[in-house]
Amino acid sequence: MTNRFDDHRPTALEEQAYAEARRHFAEHLKQFPVNREAVEWLERNIAKTALAVNMAAAKPTKNVIQTNDGTQWHKSVDLMDNICLCHRPITGGAEYAVVEHFPARGTNEIWNRGWNAVEVLKAFAQEQRQALQIWTEDMTAQVKEFLVEKYPGQDMSRMTDGLMHRLATHTTSHRQTQSHGENHNRGVRI
Amino acid sequence: MENIPKLEEPSATTERLAYSVQESADMLGVNYFSIYRLIQRGKLKVCRALRGKLLVPRAELLKLLETQ
Repeated sequence: MTNRFDDHRPTALEEQAYAEARRHFAEHLKQFPVNREAVEWLERNIAKTALAVNMAAAKPTKNVIQTNDGTQWHKSVDLMDNICLCHRPITGGAEYAVVEHFPARGTNEIWNRGWNAVEVLKAFAQEQRQALQIWTEDMTAQVKEFLVEKYPGQDMSRMTDGLMHRLATHTTSHRQTQSHGENHNRGVRI
Repeated sequence: MENIPKLEEPSATTERLAYSVQESADMLGVNYFSIYRLIQRGKLKVCRALRGKLLVPRAELLKLLETQ
């Protein structure tokens, strides 16, 4: 015998709300997994990326950029969209920096810098985790607001949880993930 | 009988005080993650609306553009 309190299936209204929320937040649902996977890739490949930039630092490159503070850097490894790991020679070694390019403003901003590429990358990856957490919290609030406004008086918390679960666990297709890795490998200029 | 003053209709030129993360990203020409990164670094000060949704004050966006 079925007990209606044990029935975890969504109601028709909940299904409708879920579908509407998915449509409304489609761009977030598309962008978040891509960025989360990029952070995960970086966390898994810190040593490899640091090695690549160390090797790049040993050779002169022509790909030079200038950051907001007026410093010139050699681009070595692409980390994410418009973000790369750079290096510059200093007395007794090299300095490393994670630099983001803002196309709209045409500026290059340093996120992290230091003399140890591994430490620079670790700090950057940790900050990306925190930024993803802020994104998740903001999304939860946005989804709640959207559903409360669309369905006043209805408890849509299961749909909020469902959508947030999807955001946290949905992966881009294997092919995309693979090509993402390949892009990174291509980005390594050594 | 007392006249009830009419509420002024918002004019088309009224500037909003704050924007959502999506709107801020569109205006700055960056992706969403860049905005959350700027928030994480404290480069963009935000406030929270009801239920915790983040809002970026217009003044903060202008300040960011001016300081860069």
